[in-house]
Amino acid sequence: MIQLYRVSKVYPPNYPALTDIRLQIDKGEFVFLNGPSGAGKTTLLKLLFRAEEAVEGQIIVSGRNITRLHGAGLSKFRREIGLVFQDFKLIPYMTVLENVALAAEVVGTSRRESNRKAFNLLRELGLKDRYDALPPVLSGGEQQRVAIARALVNQPALVLADEPTGNLDPEMADEIMRLFLRIHQQQTTIVIATHDTRLLQQFNLRVVSLQRGCIVGDSKFPEGGGEE
Amino acid sequence: MSLTYVPFVLRRVLLSLRDLLWTHVLTCGTMAMTLFVFGGFLLLQENLHRLFHGWGQQLQIFVYLEEGLKPSDLATLQKTVQAYPEVEGIRFVSKKEALESFRRDLGAQSGVLEGLEKNLLPSSLEISLKKEYRQRTKVEELASRLKGIKGIGVVEYPQEWIEKLSLLLIAVQWAKWIFGGFLFVASLLIVGSTVKLAIISRKDEIEIMQLVGASNGMIKAPFVIEGMIQGLSGASLALLLLWFLLIFLGARLPSSLGILMPQGQLYYLDPWQILSLLLLGWSLGALGTLFSLRKFLTV
Repeated sequence: MIQLYRVSKVYPPNYPALTDIRLQIDKGEFVFLNGPSGAGKTTLLKLLFRAEEAVEGQIIVSGRNITRLHGAGLSKFRREIGLVFQDFKLIPYMTVLENVALAAEVVGTSRRESNRKAFNLLRELGLKDRYDALPPVLSGGEQQRVAIARALVNQPALVLADEPTGNLDPEMADEIMRLFLRIHQQQTTIVIATHDTRLLQQFNLRVVSLQRGCIVGDSKFPEGGGEE
Repeated sequence: MSLTYVPFVLRRVLLSLRDLLWTHVLTCGTMAMTLFVFGGFLLLQENLHRLFHGWGQQLQIFVYLEEGLKPSDLATLQKTVQAYPEVEGIRFVSKKEALESFRRDLGAQSGVLEGLEKNLLPSSLEISLKKEYRQRTKVEELASRLKGIKGIGVVEYPQEWIEKLSLLLIAVQWAKWIFGGFLFVASLLIVGSTVKLAIISRKDEIEIMQLVGASNGMIKAPFVIEGMIQGLSGASLALLLLWFLLIFLGARLPSSLGILMPQGQLYYLDPWQILSLLLLGWSLGALGTLFSLRKFLTV
């Protein structure tokens, strides 16, 4: 599903954010990217949805080399993945339903069909009574569930989440994690960047550890050297 | 961007027009003022052109006759003048007719003629010229010949100052392009700033749209359409203001000015000029937006 081969990223003027990253994530896997602040988790995730461009190496997602993807190709690629962020990234003056339906409309689904799909998802995620509310009146957990609904509305094979529980209390964080596990059961590949070690201990899943821009551990390959 | 996205883009335009109404109104007003000034010059040019053209068409030589000319001498004189190849026609204007005509031209101010003697104005001949002889040198040549005829006092012809006034028309034309061009650039900058404001106020929305896979076209098209709407609305407003200006000036034009205006009325822009002004507004909005998008929006 995802292959990174000798990927490096340097921020100007000369700050190495990632160095020589080699990583393979198979279809249907659930992976945590873990590490302290500044380890390169978010940068790695940004490379995976091409918000940043690698200075070296190759990134293959779903069989497509996205390392230098631009313009229409990039838009098309983004429509095939679901993104979730710590700060939710919801449009505050659009209702919950409109926020979710927006992602469906962007891929060319009619407004009526987009609304129908968005409403069904919101119902599944326990937000059917909040569909016409504006995001600022929702709790953090509710906002994150809306963001997850938006990420799922086009039924992507890959969901990338950057610190999705970072703004939530532990109870709400667990609820959001259980939601991700439900999504994962439908063979969706999930990559979550988090610094929350409590989550890693609670859910026994693959953990790729980063430090100072390098991969320093992978629970799938405890002896190292597993990804070539 | 395929046609399936048209409803989506139009909805985004409507939302923006609603959310940033006053910013749009301000830009539209600025464009209206620019196009009003440009259209004003166009209107002035159009009316001067028609006026001078009208005068040129009516070009005549006025020959004022000496006092005491006998009817037989007058008939001979008319015959002689009519025989000139340049002359298309002659009209004799008696002293009485001259006074009546003057009284009509003065309109409401004609009271000043009351009490004056009826033979105040001399009798005259109005000589109209064939088209091919309506040039300054040829008119001058004929005038000097006429001056030599016995019984003719003064010879007048308006050609020289019509030509001088035509220079005014050229000046108006230049002023239109210089002022219009300057204001056009200023408007482009203002439209650009408005779009910049719109981009800043919708920065998060644009980022989110990019993240969910909206294409460049889907993100930029609403801005460009908004610019076009602003431009067209500005141009329409300018045309309306020009129309009111014309009505205002028409109502306040002193009737005595009718002497100078053979058609006796002011003219509005012709359909092509109206269309040009609308297109100018449209392109002003679209270009200003495109420049700004290029500069401030990286997608």
